[in-house]
Order: sequence, then C-alpha cells, then structure tokens
Amino acid sequence: MDFALNDIQQMLQDSAAKFIQNDYDFETRRRLTESELGYSEENWKLFAELGWLALPFDEAYGGLGGSLTDLIVLQTELGRGLVVEPYFSTVVLGGNLIQRHGSESQQSELLERLIAGELKLAFAQAEPQCHSSITDIETSAERSEEGYHITGHKAVVLGAPSADLLVVAARTSGNRGDQNGLSLFLVDPAQPGVTMQAYPTNDGFRGAEIRFDSVKATLLGEVDSAYDAIQATLNDAIVALSAEAVGVMEKLLNATVEFCKVRKQFGQPIGKFQVLQHRMADMFMECEQTRSMLYFGAITVAGGGEEASHAASMLKVKVGSAGRLVGQQAVQLHGGMGVSDELDVGHFFKRITMINTLLGSRDEHLQRLIRNAQAA
Amino acid sequence: MKIVVCVKRVIDYNVKIRVKPDHSDVDLTNVKMAMNPFCEIAVEEAVRLKESGVATEVVAVTIGPKAAQEQLRTALALGADRAVHIDTSAEANERIESLTVAKLLAKVVEEEQPGLVILGKQAIDTDNNQTGQMLAALAGLPQGTFASEVKISGDEGDKKLQVTREIDGGLQTIELSLPAIVTTDLRLNEPRYAKLPDIMKAKKKPMDVKSPADLCIEVASKVTLLKVESPAERKGGIKVGSVDELVDKLKNEAKVIS
Amino acid sequence: MNIDLTGDELAFRDEVRAFFQNELPPQVMEKIQRGLRISRDDQIAYQQALHAKGWAGANWPVEYGGTGWSATQKYIFNNEAATAQAPRIIPFGLTMVAPVIYTFGNEEQKQRFLPDILASKVWWCQGYSEPNAGSDLAGLKTRAVRDGDHYIVNGTKTWTTLGHYADWIFCLVRTSDTGKKQEGISFLLIDMNSPGVSVTPIITLDGRREVNEVNFEDVRVPVENLVGEEGKGWTYAKVLLTHERTNIAGVASSKQRLKRLREMLSEPPLGMPNLIDNSVFMARVMETEIELKALEFTELRVLSAVSTGKAPGPESSILKIKGTEVQQMIDELYLEASGHYALPFVPEQYEEEGDGIVIEPHFAPNTAPHYYNNRKVTIFGGTNEIQKNIIAKAVLEL
Ligand SMILES: Cc1cc2nc3c(=O)[nH]c(=O)nc-3n(C[C@H](O)[C@H](O)[C@H](O)COP(=O)(O)OP(=O)(O)OC[C@H]3O[C@@H](n4cnc5c(N)ncnc54)[C@H](O)[C@@H]3O)c2cc1C
Repeated sequence: MDFALNDIQQMLQDSAAKFIQNDYDFETRRRLTESELGYSEENWKLFAELGWLALPFDEAYGGLGGSLTDLIVLQTELGRGLVVEPYFSTVVLGGNLIQRHGSESQQSELLERLIAGELKLAFAQAEPQCHSSITDIETSAERSEEGYHITGHKAVVLGAPSADLLVVAARTSGNRGDQNGLSLFLVDPAQPGVTMQAYPTNDGFRGAEIRFDSVKATLLGEVDSAYDAIQATLNDAIVALSAEAVGVMEKLLNATVEFCKVRKQFGQPIGKFQVLQHRMADMFMECEQTRSMLYFGAITVAGGGEEASHAASMLKVKVGSAGRLVGQQAVQLHGGMGVSDELDVGHFFKRITMINTLLGSRDEHLQRLIRNAQAA
Repeated sequence: MKIVVCVKRVIDYNVKIRVKPDHSDVDLTNVKMAMNPFCEIAVEEAVRLKESGVATEVVAVTIGPKAAQEQLRTALALGADRAVHIDTSAEANERIESLTVAKLLAKVVEEEQPGLVILGKQAIDTDNNQTGQMLAALAGLPQGTFASEVKISGDEGDKKLQVTREIDGGLQTIELSLPAIVTTDLRLNEPRYAKLPDIMKAKKKPMDVKSPADLCIEVASKVTLLKVESPAERKGGIKVGSVDELVDKLKNEAKVIS
Repeated sequence: MNIDLTGDELAFRDEVRAFFQNELPPQVMEKIQRGLRISRDDQIAYQQALHAKGWAGANWPVEYGGTGWSATQKYIFNNEAATAQAPRIIPFGLTMVAPVIYTFGNEEQKQRFLPDILASKVWWCQGYSEPNAGSDLAGLKTRAVRDGDHYIVNGTKTWTTLGHYADWIFCLVRTSDTGKKQEGISFLLIDMNSPGVSVTPIITLDGRREVNEVNFEDVRVPVENLVGEEGKGWTYAKVLLTHERTNIAGVASSKQRLKRLREMLSEPPLGMPNLIDNSVFMARVMETEIELKALEFTELRVLSAVSTGKAPGPESSILKIKGTEVQQMIDELYLEASGHYALPFVPEQYEEEGDGIVIEPHFAPNTAPHYYNNRKVTIFGGTNEIQKNIIAKAVLEL
C-alpha cells in the first residue's frame, strides 16, 4: 500500500503548481473572468504544450495514457488556482466521451485536434427538467435521408460559449427514463437552428442555455447505446471535480489559518480564541477526510463496474458536506472581509458552493445511496 | 559541446521553514522538497543552449540522498539528456559541505570533460554561495559568477563565452575561454514548466549512480552546525486612516523617515 | 399562555393586509411582482406610504409619533408585510438611531431629527465598525477633538451599509484616551454632506455595492450634534445593539420564504428539480421549519416581555444567532431547489433596472448571489461568536 505520488505525478504537480504561482495569481484570474472570452487562449495553448490536454487519452491518439490518479493530481492544482480555462468541459467531459464512445476515425481525428489545443468541447446533457439524471432526456434526434436532426433544450452547458463542437446527449428511441435509446451527437454550434443564451456563472466560468431546432448532427459512435459511456464519464468527472474541490478547500483552510494569525481583535490574534481554533481544527479534519475519500473514489471509479457509481456518489456527498463546512467557516472567520469581493477567499467559497450543484448535489447523491440500500 | 549542470535538492521555496525545537537544525520531516530555484535556472540555460544548437548534450549532476533523484528526474524532464547521482545516503553525516561538493563535482568534470559547467549561484537552504567558485579553483577553470546573460561565440575549436554579471550597482560583461564555470543569477532566464510528455520520457533517460568512494573522495566534516534560529516574527499589517497617520507612523514608530 | 388573536387583533390584521394589497406605491408593487430589487427611491416611497398610514414608527413611543402597537400587533404587521413580500424597512433611521435620540437626546435634537426620520425624509447610516475595530468595537480610533463649538473628526469607518445613499451617519467616535476604552467613546451625528467626508464603495460577493468605507478628514461637526453626554456613547450604543439584534432575526420573512418554498415543492415551476421525493432534502426542510417555529415562539416570548416594560436583555442574542442561522438554512434550501440553475449569473433578472425573467425557474438566478451575500448576517450586528460569548458571560455567568 502506498499513497505517495509517484515521480511522474510529483513532477506534474510541481509544474502545475508553478504555473499557478507564476502565471495565475488571483488578480490575473480576475481579469480573465472579466474578459470577453472568460479565459486565456494563450493559457490554453500552454496547456496543450505542457501535455495537459493529452493526459487521459490513449497513446494511439497522441495521448499520454494517464490514469484517473494522474488526472486528480492536475485537477487539485487547477482547483488551487481557481483555473477557469475550459479543461473540465473539454478534456474531462467531451474528450472522455469521444474516447469512450466515438468510432475509430472520430477518436483519432477529434482527439488529435483536442490534444493540439485546436478543439474545445462542451457536453450538453442536462435539461431544464433533469438536473443530474442521465436518462431523463427529452431532446430527440430524428433520422432522415440527410442524417440526424436534433431538437430540444439543453440547460447550463458549461464551456458552451467557447466550444468548437458540442457533444449532445439525445434520445433516438425509447422513452424518458430508459437507458436504451440514448445516443451522443456532435453538433457544430455555429449552425442555423442553434440558439445559445450565454452567461457567466456565479463562480467565474461560462455556460449557456442551448436550444436546438432541428439541427444537423453527426452521430458519435453507435446509436442507442451511449448510456454506459455517459455513466462512466460522469463518474470520472465526479472524481476530477472532487479533486478540484480538495484544492479549493485546502486553499480556504490555509488562507483562514493565515488570516487568524495576523488579524488582531481584543489585543490578540483571533487565532488565539479557542472557539476559532476548534473551528479550524474541524476544517482541517474535513479537508483530510475529503482527500481520503478522493483517493478511495479515484481507485474505485477507475476499477469500473457497479462499485464505480456507488463510490462516485459517496465521494460527491463527502465533497458536498465538507465543502460546505470549510467554505462557510472560512468566510465566517474572516468576518466582513470574508464577504468582500476584493479578497480571494470569497471566490474560493463561491466555487466550492457551485461545485456542490454540479453533477448532482450532496442531497441527490445521498438519496441515491439510500434508494440503492433500500433496493438491495 | 557537452554541458554539465549541477542541481541541488532543497526545501521548496514556498514552504514555511520550521526549526526543530532543540534548534539543532531545520525540521525536514514531511516537508516538500524541490530543486533549488537557481539550479532550475541553470538547467534552463543549459537546455536553451542545446536547443539553439550550441550544446549537444546536457548532463545533470546531483550530490545527495537517494531522494535527490527526484530532482534529477525533474532536470531530465526539463530537457537534460542523462543524469549522474552521487549518492551520499551511506555517509555518516548527511550534511555535505561545499568544499566536498566542489571536490566531487571536480571529479565529475574530470570524467565528463564538459565544455561548460553551469551551477546556481547559491542554494536557498544554506545560502553559501561558494560551490561554483571552489569548483573553478579545483578544476582550474575560468569562472563567470552571478550571470544574467550568457552568450557563446566563435568557431568550433575557438569558442568564447561572454557572461554578463550582476554586480553591486550595475552590470559587468566578461569574456572567458572554454571550458568554463558559470553560476546563475535570478534574471538569467525564466525556467519553463516541465511538459507532461517530457516528464514521462524522463523515466527512460539514463541515470548513473556513484558513491563518493567510487570517485575516491572522502566525505569529511570540518564544520559543525551549532544552532539554527527562525527569523524574528513578522508583525501583522495595519491599515492607516490617513496620509498624515501614515507619515506619523513611518516617522515615529517605524523610524524609517525623519 | 395564549396565542389566539382577539377580535380587534383580527380586524387589525385585515387592515394591514388590505394596505399591502392596495396601498403600496405602484412602482414598488410592480417590482415585487417582477421579482426585481427595490431602488433607493422605491424604498423611500414605500416607507413614506407607511408613514402616511401612521405606521412608520412601529417601536416608537406614541408621543414621538409612534404606533404604540402591542407585541401582537407588531407580530401581525411583520407577518403581513412578509406575506406581501414588501421591502424590509431600512433600520438605520427608524429602528436604530431614533431610539437613541428619543431616549438619550435633548429636546432640540428630538424636534430636529425625529420628524424627518419618521417621514423617511432623511436617510441614515451606521458608522460603528472600523478597519481595526470590528468585534472589538471599543477599540475604535475615529477621533473627535473639541475645537470651540465644533468637533473635528478624523478617521475611517467601514462596512457602512448603504452609506452611499445616506444623508446622515451616526457614529461612535473617540473623545478621550484616558480610562477604560469604553469610557472615551461618544455618540455623534454627522451630516454626510460636510466637507471632508468621502465614501468609497466596497463590493460584496454578489458583485453589488451595498457597503462602503467612509472617510473623515478634518470634518467639522457642531457640538450640538453630540447625543447625550460625552463619553457615554458606548452605553447608548449597547442599548441600540440589543434593538438591532432583535431586528435581525427576521422571523416573519423566514416563515414566508419557507412557505413559498413548500408551495413550489408541491408544484415545481418549470426548471426546478423535483425534490419532494428526496427524503434527504425534505428532512432539511422539516428541520428548518421546526427550528423556525421554536424561534418564532422565542421571539414572541421576548416581545411580550418587552411590551410589559422590560428592555430586551442578553436573550436578544438568541434571536440574533438562531434567526440568522435559520435564514442561512433557508438560503441553502433555495440553493438546492435551484439545482443547476443556481449557476447562471444573470443580474438583469433581479436588479433594480433589470428586464425580468431570463432564466426559469424565476427564483433561481438570485439564490446564489443572495446566499453569498447573506453570509453577512452571522457576521454583522456582532458576529455569532460574539453573541455566544455574551450568552456565556451575561446569561450563564461563566
Ligand atoms: C455586509 C455587512 C454590512 C455591515 N454593515 C455595517 C454598518 O452598516 N455599520 C457598521 O458599523 N458596521 C457594519 N458591518 C460591520 C460588522 O459589524 C463587522 O463586520 C462585525 O462586527 C465583525 O467585525 P470584523 O468584520 O472586523 O471581523 P473580526 O472582528 O475581525 O472577526 C473575525 C472573526 O473572528 C471572530 N472573533 C473575533 N473576536 C472573537 C472572540 N473574542 N471570540 C471568538 N471569536 C471572535 C469573529 O466572530 C469572526 O468570525 C457590516 C458588515 C458586513 C459584512
């Protein structure tokens, strides 16, 4: 048994940490979130050069064949920097779906472009009536002689405004709730019939509501059988997002401890008040427990099978509960400064809050676990 | 031309240093270690010289415990071609003095016969700033210390090295014949981030491991560390209400203006 | 023990309800319906409508134009206002500085200030906190030095809520350095238009300007603006703080928000996740409801004690702590009820001059900004940690 990072992971962590430290300080990040694009193309090119975009993909397509544990090392550092480049939507979601479900030629063509930094993706899955279920899909694709056409409304599609290509989950047969009959499509968002209502998100990213009105779409891989690929990709995505959460939480903890050492009230550093010490001890324990859960989740999800979804839910619950405590207390212990926009703490708090609403909240996953236990 | 570049494993510069309770040394348990930042600059310079066609091979060298191989791997990931580890794990004293380091490096230089040796001007753990100079003396080579710019000119066989040095209050440019020793200052270059594919390839690059005994150098310790103390604690900042208050505090509390 | 409403009280309730249905200024009504925020002008129009009805001074003694309402009437009023989603009353003038003026001010001050406060003609803000005096308020440094019949004020106040709207600020200032810290503090009223006063915005996590830093540079304040005695400001402020804390609980509005949530849970509007079957979430809803019910009764107990002539004591800390905790629990329930629609940042949907609905469910876009912003309630008015210190010391005598 060994939980230490291997050489490669250690070096990946070092170089990512260095990037954040040198090129991604808080004010730089703020400028990026306020810019028109919402992130930096230059950084994106750098990510390509550094091989980050190639990390989880097969060597056959120019990828590096990295494992889920390699991915969480990088994601944790991206969390520490609150990095807003569309890595999650392009690599973790879009790229993984193509790798899992695309045809041979789609894989080689698209992943190669993605790895080179020339293709950004977004995964259009959720819909207004469906917040985290995979099968509750109303968007449908009709087949005609000219191929498939998609109609439907996709909700809160992260990374959509900058995506060159959308990966869209749509129903090709069956009914709402069926696992069979789900397919994935590639859609060029610049086409007529695509209406995109773009917006920033509350934590500095970009997203959109997308409406498709009989839009031409290319089938990704096989028809009707995308459920497994979506499920596996979302499990990976929960692990990756949780890794980011760990980075965010550790930043919140450190910032709070440092603040409490220097902020003085009643003639002493507020960190001397025992009630605050205990609070920070709790935050510390929650960070560590979440990291442990992250390792459990990464190992189990990588193993696949029934266990994977169960572990992903457990992990997401822990991230939700611990993130809530760490985020709220970080703000509380900063006093007024905690709710000011000027300080980075508030922004880490915003991100950890929004992480809970992504890919199914704590309550949703907890309910899922309860249902499974009742059914067993 | 071959370049030997020397790297040292030190505490990561982001880590807050803790001193052991008995003040015998800095506490290194569970502390993140990294390549000395000046050594990173040295590696970067060597790799750039290779990329520009001036150098043909870059050999990274470290002296230290087994774990120091991590820093050699980093040097390999950043572009060095092979590595030499002089493993001091078996030595009684883990603190290897600068002079011993210089002697060991002189042996490596003798074996490798490089056209150029690049080192950091100092390591951020002990701030000695002497290894490069001692190596130059032991190897009988010219040295350009505190380099902020390095240029190589001339034809094969008659190459010259121009080094711009950061000295108090200005810059000095000197010309050296090769082979030579260069020590790097902060502004020489901005080291790159290790690329993931290179990180993976680094695993396959050759690494030679030797002991000081293999090089016929005895690791003797002539300096004893008596005591280590942390710097005085920094006081928390305060927010002043007005320019007048600021001026008053600078005058009467900080006493930095009069 | 009895909580039934009498016939008179029922009649009063109907009157209040009718007011909120029919007599709110139209622009306020419209904004409430469209879910937009209230501007400064709307706020004033609303408070003036209350004044026209004779209902502005809910806590004031009748002799100064107060309503003379019983605890039950206040309770009824607050509930009806919350049900109508009426704006909250900005407390700084009507419920914060006025009680200090009518309790400790001289006759001239009462005549000069109280009528304009009651009529919402003058906007007040609160200048207590400073960069280095937050929880340790008595450590404040803003100085007022006597110069003939003026004080010269120098210093910085911070976190000043709506200071950029204000005409006047009531401040705690230091008039002496000798003796106990608390004894050198005085209560001073300052015209925000005085030369030397400057206001700089502080942006909060929801991206809005709500608080400010207020700077005083050689501001000349007439001596007649001192309330009560020099050096007694701390004592006055403490009385005021207990009022402030009772106010912060926000029971009526919490009840209302929870009720609306319950309604939406049974019939989810477009875009809202179906949560009624989620027993984890429902457990949180029920727990919040129970906590709120207990709090409502705690508040009634405090109010009825006050109406029998007792001042709110350290128990008001319970209201502050529990009231703000419940508010934040409800904020979190709404966040959950927004599902992924908590993510879009579309202020045009809820800002004063917004266009209205951009995203469904209509309530979702404001839930995250509100949640972020509302972390303040456990911080201001004395942090909840400080409130617990008070309970430990003053109630439990630890
Ligand atoms: C949105 C907002 C609006 C505000 N509006 C106004 C206003 O209009 N006018 C005004 O005067 N002020 C206002 N305030 C200021 C508010 O009253 C202060 O923020 C509050 O008193 C806390 O002070 P601080 O921010 O300096 O935090 P600090 O006092 O520095 O506290 C930091 C942390 O330390 C804890 N702590 C401090 N001392 C102790 C102790 N002895 N024991 C245990 N824990 C302790 C606190 O609970 C907190 O968690 C506002 C604040 C906010 C956030």
